[in-house]
Amino acid sequence: MPDLSTGVVVIGGGSTGAGVLRDLAMRGIDAVLVEKGDLASGTTGRSHGLLHSGGRYCVNDEAAAIECVEEGRILRRIAPSTIEDTGGYFVSVTEEDTEWEPRFVEGCRKTGITCERISVDEARRREPALSKQVRTAFWVPEDGHLDPFFLVLGNVESARRRGAKVMTYTQVQGFLREGEQVTGVRLRDVVSGTETTIGCQAVINATGAWSGLVARLLGVEVKVVPMKGIMVVLSHRLAHAAINRCHKPGDGDIIVPALSVAILGTTAAKVSNPEELPIEWGEVRQMIDDGAMMLDGVTTARAMRAYAGVRPLYDLGAEAEGREMSRNFAVIDHEQRDGVKGFTSIVGGKVTTYRLMAERVVDLVARRLGVTTVCTTAQVPLDDGERPMDELRHRPAALGVPKPHGDEAPLQPLLCECEMVRPADVTPWLADPAVRGLEDIRRRTRSGMGPCQAAICSYRLAARLVTDRGLSGEAATAAMGDFLESRWRGVRHVFWGSQLRQAQVTSGLHLELLNLDRQLAMDRDVAS
Amino acid sequence: MKTDIAVVGSGLAALTAVRALRQAGRDVTLVWPGLTSLYFLAATVDVLGYADVGAGGAVQNPSDGVARLIAEHPDHPYALAGLPALQAGLALLLDWFKEAGLDWQGSPTRNLMLPTATGTPKPSCLVPVTMAAGDLDDPMPIVLCGFAGYQDFAPELAASNLQRSWAKGSRRVTAVRIGLPGFNPDRLFTSIDIARRFEEPSFVTEVGALIQAAIPAGPVRIGLPAVLGLTRTRDIHAALMARAGHPVFEIPTLPPSVPALRLFDRLRKQLQETGTELIWAAPAHAAEVHNRRCTRISLKAAGREQPLEARAFILALEDWVDGAFRAGVHLVREPFFGNVIAEHPKPADRTAPSLFSPQPYAQLGYRVTDHLQPADEAGTPLADNVFIAGGAIAGYDPSGTKSRGGMAVATGYRAAQEALAA
Repeated sequence: MPDLSTGVVVIGGGSTGAGVLRDLAMRGIDAVLVEKGDLASGTTGRSHGLLHSGGRYCVNDEAAAIECVEEGRILRRIAPSTIEDTGGYFVSVTEEDTEWEPRFVEGCRKTGITCERISVDEARRREPALSKQVRTAFWVPEDGHLDPFFLVLGNVESARRRGAKVMTYTQVQGFLREGEQVTGVRLRDVVSGTETTIGCQAVINATGAWSGLVARLLGVEVKVVPMKGIMVVLSHRLAHAAINRCHKPGDGDIIVPALSVAILGTTAAKVSNPEELPIEWGEVRQMIDDGAMMLDGVTTARAMRAYAGVRPLYDLGAEAEGREMSRNFAVIDHEQRDGVKGFTSIVGGKVTTYRLMAERVVDLVARRLGVTTVCTTAQVPLDDGERPMDELRHRPAALGVPKPHGDEAPLQPLLCECEMVRPADVTPWLADPAVRGLEDIRRRTRSGMGPCQAAICSYRLAARLVTDRGLSGEAATAAMGDFLESRWRGVRHVFWGSQLRQAQVTSGLHLELLNLDRQLAMDRDVAS
Repeated sequence: MKTDIAVVGSGLAALTAVRALRQAGRDVTLVWPGLTSLYFLAATVDVLGYADVGAGGAVQNPSDGVARLIAEHPDHPYALAGLPALQAGLALLLDWFKEAGLDWQGSPTRNLMLPTATGTPKPSCLVPVTMAAGDLDDPMPIVLCGFAGYQDFAPELAASNLQRSWAKGSRRVTAVRIGLPGFNPDRLFTSIDIARRFEEPSFVTEVGALIQAAIPAGPVRIGLPAVLGLTRTRDIHAALMARAGHPVFEIPTLPPSVPALRLFDRLRKQLQETGTELIWAAPAHAAEVHNRRCTRISLKAAGREQPLEARAFILALEDWVDGAFRAGVHLVREPFFGNVIAEHPKPADRTAPSLFSPQPYAQLGYRVTDHLQPADEAGTPLADNVFIAGGAIAGYDPSGTKSRGGMAVATGYRAAQEALAA
């Protein structure tokens, strides 16, 4: 007998898995999501956060572009809290780019993307940071910033309100089978090592770049190509809108204003293991150099960190390579294809189209389960709970956190000054069993994402682990050390300019004032 | 502008050098690059906490520890400065602190183990008297007392850690929080706000009574965040102990560090009161050198470049926080002689994979001669009358060995002696 029973087990806690969970819950299907790390800790949380208008794909991949157009409009309706409607520009900076223009204009027309050619003077009036190299500019109002963490949380919380369950840090070890029918999953808590089983009628594999690895546990093949992309975070926004290079999609051609920072992206390199995403200096350098072709200030702004994500490109069998491969997605019906009943994979795609991907795969699974309820995820807003979504996650603007100089409301205490996170903003997450470490708090609140990269809030959060969760000092201090180390891993790739000053302050605080290095070494020695 | 000896820097190295030069009767101009982060972080003078960055226990006797270090590493900045410079520098500091009305204590032959805000024992050499009762050689049980809504000292976290490690868990540490009168936990307040309120005698009495009520009578001492006033700390500390009925000691908090503000503000004022010229918030650069003598440096003051002429110069910049060096993507330059001090194919080469390991970037700096003059690769001085002190000397990262303060004091003192002779 399995430890727990449900209708559908969803594997993967990225945007696709979260969307699938919500879709199932809204159709009244009992579901549990299992994720081997934290929610949005894989591909989704490591995206550049561009809500695609579709302009990037409109020449080479019309179907993907049309999906972006439609889904972008739906998301603005159902998840406005997760989107900043910045709009975007497509700019050409070389003669070669200029040759791409007529194809871009035609692509936009064919796929229904709103696109307006404006003079360079006008573009520069709106975006003074546009580089001298910019030759032409198109205004694409439906580009935007999509907060990937908030999107996943919004979907998951909406699903939880409808009875769905979430298990983070829970890895699938294998499957339960009766003949050709998958009847459940075998799970292991990666922190405690505890093993459990869940019985179910169907399993949805929504693990993106990991879906081949998960399918292999059942002996079936999913041909997914993990494609690494590098992003560089600058300490402030350089432009109001998203800036895209108007050319054949390539490397380093996107700059996204993401809340308090600007994100430069990205690259495309095949990797064999989605867990191993080394950041090479050449890639970081390329992001800076390419970004500087479009915007002034890229080379002089403070780069705060670099990070790597991995896209799941689905091999549709074509000869295509890398970016030539479709950003479309596919639902793989393993019953029909491999004779394995109760197992379905959803692969490919991108964050912008997560909802549509969820709808398609749940359509199939629901039909198999005999559920005829239609999908309503495109109509019902995520924010349909009693507690407004803006409260779910700290939003200084929406919450009216007063400015230091205002006197109309008392200045509230802050736990993370860089990102204006208040002590109260982390309280509900400390009570959530899905949250294990301080990185998980960061993904939900942005604490530690600002210029000091957790130098200050790591201590305050460790303190809260003791007071709010009853953790031992040892466990809380280890969490603090882990948090600082994970921030450091991104910081060290962009280590020039004032980053060195910041690093000396961090080390002055944690090594010289707190003696944290010795505390961690002492606890390690005792443990071993 | 003209002076006898110019000292550039804002940390302990610069201050030690200035004091030594003033005692020798010389005219000194101190150029502060501005408020640096160390100014907000410092709390004690750590001479040598650990012999090695890796494993191993704390150094009991810092003088002995430094002597061993010098014997084993003849190129170490401590070796260049010499043990006598360290000892004389520490004595000079203690003497100066007393004259300036700052109560500090310590001896170069003994490290005090004091708990930090994570509850970690840390070896320090010179400490404010208000911290000394935290000495972990004393078995008296400790109650760590925090304040409601105050996030920069967490008694629960610190007590749990200290209880575990102090004398292998055989001592007693507990945590308590009290509400501070007039401080609403739902309003923003900082260490400095609290320190200001402690300057009022009625507040001290109120807090003392609250501590007494929260902590039962008995032989315990109370560890409080280091916020007991900005200027009248000695009186506040005494009054608080009398009212609370327990020994009280301070523990440094997250920045801003009130002990650092007390120390640097008092010493700065004392220097001004006793006739040291002080140029505030003026980043210095561009040394002009003729025949191996520096005639002047340039200050960015009041929006323009201003030359400062002197017979000798002490550059006592504390690494990166003082803006001692400029790190481009590949090249690291120093601003006085315009030399490249390091080149890195990849910026990440400047770092170690772990934040808690010795960092290559922290070891960058000026190569120096036996006389602490900046030197070229062959060891020839770039200028005979310029001397380097503090973190800007190449070849060491004091973070892991807890030795930043001692190295600053030793090299600052030694640089002053060299400048006197130059």
